[in-house]
Amino acid sequence: MKAFTTMAYRQIKRFFRARSRVIGMFVNPLMWLIFFGLGWSKVFNFPMASALFGGVDYLSFLAPGITAMTIFNASFIAGISVIWDKQFGFLKEILVAPASRKEAITGRIFGDSIMAVLQGLIILLLTFTIASSLKFSGVLPMILIGFLLAVAFSSFGVSLALRMTSMEGFQMIMSFLMLPLMFLSGAFYPVETMPTWMQYLAYINPLTYAVDAARHVLVNAPATTATASIPGMPTVSLTRFSLTTDIGVLSMLALAFLVVAMISFERATIE
Amino acid sequence: MEYAITADNLVKKYGDLTAVRGVSFKVKKGEIFAFLGPNGAGKTTTIHMLVTLLKPTSGKATVAGHDVVKEPDKVRKKIGIVFQDPSLDRELTAYENMYIHGKIYGLSGDKLKKRIMEMLKFVELEEFKDRQVKFFSGGMQRRLEIARALIHEPEVLFLDEPTIGLDPQTRAHIWEYIKRMKEEHEMTIFLTTHYMDEAEQLADRIAIIDHGKIIAEGTSEELKKLVGNDVIYIRIANGKEGIKCLNADFIRGCKVLPDGRVRLEVVNAAEALPKLFELAQQNGIKILEVTYHRPTLNDVFLYLTGRELREESASGFDMAKIAVRRRYMR
Ligand SMILES: Nc1ncnc2c1ncn2[C@@H]1O[C@H](COP(=O)(O)OP(=O)(O)OP(=O)(O)O)[C@@H](O)[C@H]1O
Ligand SMILES: [Mg+2]
Repeated sequence: MKAFTTMAYRQIKRFFRARSRVIGMFVNPLMWLIFFGLGWSKVFNFPMASALFGGVDYLSFLAPGITAMTIFNASFIAGISVIWDKQFGFLKEILVAPASRKEAITGRIFGDSIMAVLQGLIILLLTFTIASSLKFSGVLPMILIGFLLAVAFSSFGVSLALRMTSMEGFQMIMSFLMLPLMFLSGAFYPVETMPTWMQYLAYINPLTYAVDAARHVLVNAPATTATASIPGMPTVSLTRFSLTTDIGVLSMLALAFLVVAMISFERATIE
Repeated sequence: MEYAITADNLVKKYGDLTAVRGVSFKVKKGEIFAFLGPNGAGKTTTIHMLVTLLKPTSGKATVAGHDVVKEPDKVRKKIGIVFQDPSLDRELTAYENMYIHGKIYGLSGDKLKKRIMEMLKFVELEEFKDRQVKFFSGGMQRRLEIARALIHEPEVLFLDEPTIGLDPQTRAHIWEYIKRMKEEHEMTIFLTTHYMDEAEQLADRIAIIDHGKIIAEGTSEELKKLVGNDVIYIRIANGKEGIKCLNADFIRGCKVLPDGRVRLEVVNAAEALPKLFELAQQNGIKILEVTYHRPTLNDVFLYLTGRELREESASGFDMAKIAVRRRYMR
């Protein structure tokens, strides 16, 4: 356990040391929430609009997605610290230590994940002030969902970073993946109304299940679902999968990526 | 005799490049053993194989009685290492760096705290314990790395160019620590360097390594006996014939150096100098400057390879490395 707790401790300590980075992490999700969210919420302000978003207002539809997205961003980017450690040499110090590498890397991933979830939580609490149909009882289950998501993507980020030497390379891959994963997750618009080919891509996107689960637990489903009475306007349900499916898929992904990260770190050399 | 380190025909290839080509040596318990060699000789590669970070392409090595390939975990428990390049967490404080190291090596509680303070005191950094490492000078970082490597009381300590890029005062300090570690804790120390004075000051035995091979091994006295002769350097006026070697039966060896000086080997410099002046006068050569000395390790290296080991020859490279360290320090 010593390598696990020590590395988790180190990641958390480092996170709070870099204050500018902490503030920077909130800028991106807040931009989406405020400019994108408030902007579109005025467009979807007409009486029937809630039929498009499972019976709730647009901001309440968007908020769980933004929370999931924040956790996804924060956990993915945490992987870059592995490249940092390579360049500043700290990685050698861990590789030469007589401690279980599996434990060390898991500790690192858990430390990063805790910080990612914390960031998501702060964004979530902010969304409570502008979205009307969210329930506080969803916060606790959201922590669990967020943690699974964070473990999956920080493991992915760490495995990727272990194979790379430059931060620029990592950042390039990240910015290449970030937007498609976000747009294909159903965070901004429902999966149901996407073109069929996009729906298939959404189904293989881990983030889709996190967004779906977040809506399950966070949004107060309306007692009577509004149906669209305007010709051609679709009626969309709030969630796509059952909560069990969502959590099942997320748990499996988190575990799979964690195992990949462990194996990658076990094999890491300084060559 | 029990050995702290044994290396038997170690080879390391990086693709086509053979960095270490069959290195064998033994280090006794409690001994300071130095690898002395120029840049790119294979010193760091050898250390990395001994500390289990690189797998040898072939050959065998044991450290503290354990095979480095078959029992890496047992080796790791018993060694401490200061890498050539910085390896501290710069965002954390000196104390936190020490704490994390101690924890990972299985220490905890009051024992760990005590050890950390002892070691910080040993390298005279206790008053800076709560400062972030990124605000440390190069010398302070080096001292902290040494302190960190000692927390878990290793049996064998590896130091890869411990004083590279440091000012003379800091180097002297670090030499002092290294000597004290040997004396007070009977620690076995394996160090690499390309400073001959460092090897001479610290090491009980020295292996000279070049192009991945050990070309000579022994105490510094033994190595100097290889050259045997005294060495005279003269600077002569650049006459019609240019700068050439001098010939006479008392001159055992002669070489024109790249900087224009002429290097002569003689049995006894004190007796040879008058003869040399006479010879120069006869040949119409004007001597501008004379120095002579007992052979140094640099002369040994020159004798064995025909090249200089001296800092001059490496300084360009050194500066580049120092620049790299500096960059990281920002
Ligand atoms: N990871 C690597 N991949 C390819 N070649 C390498 C690698 N590391 C070292 N080399 C090469 O192996 C040779 C030996 O390098 P090494 O770092 O062991 O030398 P050194 O004696 O420590 O030199 P220095 O004084 O510069 O530290 C050099 O030619 C170097 O370029
Ligand atoms: Mg080296």
